[in-house]
Amino acid sequence: MSPVLRLLLRRLGISFVVLIGVSMLIFAIARIIPGDPARIALGPNATAEQVERIRAEMHLDEPIPVQYGFFLRDLARGDLGTSLYTNRPVTTDIAQFLPATLELVFLAGLIMVAVGLPLGILAARYRGRWPDHLVRVLSLLTVSAPSFVWAVILMLIFAYYLPFFPIAGRIKDIYEIERVTGFMTIDTALAGNWPAFWNAWHHLVLPAVALSLSGIGQAARLTRANMVETYEKPYIEMAQAYGFFPSRIARTYAFKPSIIPSLTIIGLDFAAMLGNAFLVEAVFAWPGLSRYGVAVILRKDLNAIMGTVLIIALTFLIVNIIVDLLIAFLNPRIRHSTRAAS
Amino acid sequence: MSPVLDIRDLHLSFKGYGGLSEVLHGISLRIEQGQKVALVGESGSGKSVTARIVLGLLQETRTARIRGAVEFDGRDIGAMSARQRAALRGTEMSMIFQDPTSSLNPTFTIGRQFREVLGRRDPGIGRAASDARATQMLAEVSIPDPARVLAAYPFQLSGGMNQRVMIAMALANRPKLLLADEPGTALDVSVQAQTLHLMRELVDDHGTSVLFISHNLGVVREFADRLYVIYRGRIVEEGPAAAIFADPRHAYTRALMDAVPRITGGGLPDVPEVSEDFLAPLIRHEEDAA
Repeated sequence: MSPVLRLLLRRLGISFVVLIGVSMLIFAIARIIPGDPARIALGPNATAEQVERIRAEMHLDEPIPVQYGFFLRDLARGDLGTSLYTNRPVTTDIAQFLPATLELVFLAGLIMVAVGLPLGILAARYRGRWPDHLVRVLSLLTVSAPSFVWAVILMLIFAYYLPFFPIAGRIKDIYEIERVTGFMTIDTALAGNWPAFWNAWHHLVLPAVALSLSGIGQAARLTRANMVETYEKPYIEMAQAYGFFPSRIARTYAFKPSIIPSLTIIGLDFAAMLGNAFLVEAVFAWPGLSRYGVAVILRKDLNAIMGTVLIIALTFLIVNIIVDLLIAFLNPRIRHSTRAAS
Repeated sequence: MSPVLDIRDLHLSFKGYGGLSEVLHGISLRIEQGQKVALVGESGSGKSVTARIVLGLLQETRTARIRGAVEFDGRDIGAMSARQRAALRGTEMSMIFQDPTSSLNPTFTIGRQFREVLGRRDPGIGRAASDARATQMLAEVSIPDPARVLAAYPFQLSGGMNQRVMIAMALANRPKLLLADEPGTALDVSVQAQTLHLMRELVDDHGTSVLFISHNLGVVREFADRLYVIYRGRIVEEGPAAAIFADPRHAYTRALMDAVPRITGGGLPDVPEVSEDFLAPLIRHEEDAA
């Protein structure tokens, strides 16, 4: 078995255990916090029998471990229960709201990497000189304000004072787009409706930029810090002694060894965008999973909370596995190790 | 014919918080075509910075102030632009470092790094041509299985193997001048001896001039035709290697020779840290004294 395959299997096993742990934790916490979900769902005028009936339906009258057993049994069948908030299966809700969030987070992650890493490389290449200072000030600025503050600032400047971008939503109401993947940019393209396609992108830009800004700062700072350290290594002096172009040394010789330790953190930053998206989605009235998540938490909609948290945990784990594989691909020490890397 | 390297009255100082501090106080050094010259001194004496000035690396450091003439192959390095200096590196001159394993990039294969080096002479070199040339070079440094080495990463090879790779890379573009900064000091003594022997044979074959930098007179004796002893930024004794070994006249040279450990024992030599005698003026051996 190749070391990379072994690594993948190991990570999948660990992820499974983590997922079980997260589900137990959230399951218990959601049930311990005060408030009776049945009563909240039915409203103040419900009779005691009605409340009892819902409680029995949801097994809320059983001890928590037994309830968890029911939950696992349903989960194995791909059933996350019914949302008390929307009265629809939780899986249907997630399928509706998740693509909008993923669309936002994917683009934000892409911007983070595409802008943050080059900025970090630039700063490290000109360390101690003005491009370095500029990048450091800029990245400090972007990290110091949370993304929803950037969302408001960007919206004010680029949608309100200078109306370059739409203020809110995913697409103009006038476009009727058949839902295939749930990703508006893909569905419009599949429909061949190019005005709608551009409109979807147009709506996507500001929220994605707002969400990516602090990640850009993080990625730039991290890349710079690791690269400045790499620049002290003998193999960089060797590259200089052989007269390689400074820009080439920066982009390949110094960057590749430096990105390996940064990748884990950049991956976590990327996954954390899913959480930050809660507030950005609120600012831009983006119909995504995060807004749904906030709504269901406030209503103590147990099934929907479990579903949302599990999806977010799953995304974290998937991103981590992808990052580990990327590292294995970039770091020959892991790829060629005869023992399993731990 | 002009010498390959001619350094005249080279001064180097670094600008720091307390003003300028001078590290080289006017050193002069000549390397003729095909000559192997050693620059010997303790750490901090200024030997490594001298090599980095010749390579044109220190000129890029903003805190360094360099004065004096450094002529490579008749051309004044001090008058060149950074780009012109970079054009000489890896083509006309190349360098071998102390620790071969950490001087090779850990994330690229040897073959890929070889291709970059060969690309300095021949920018359009393809993979096949590069591998063929690299294989030939690796065979010259007695590497038994070049194909395996080219596909390997530095951490998969032994230190001695990496040192051979470094030597092969350094000579791959047929440079006029090879700078060797404490080559193989990080290796164990027997491997170091083998690789130095190999390096000497190769530079003799190719007629490459060498500036060999070391703190170890024992190693230098094997290698160099001509010797410069440097102490605290000044050359204190210079001349043909044989003449200096036969008749070391400067107090510091004698102290360095005493510092070479002997297999016959005698414990650690008693070398004073500083001595007035070490600052005595330059002693120049005549060429015919050998």
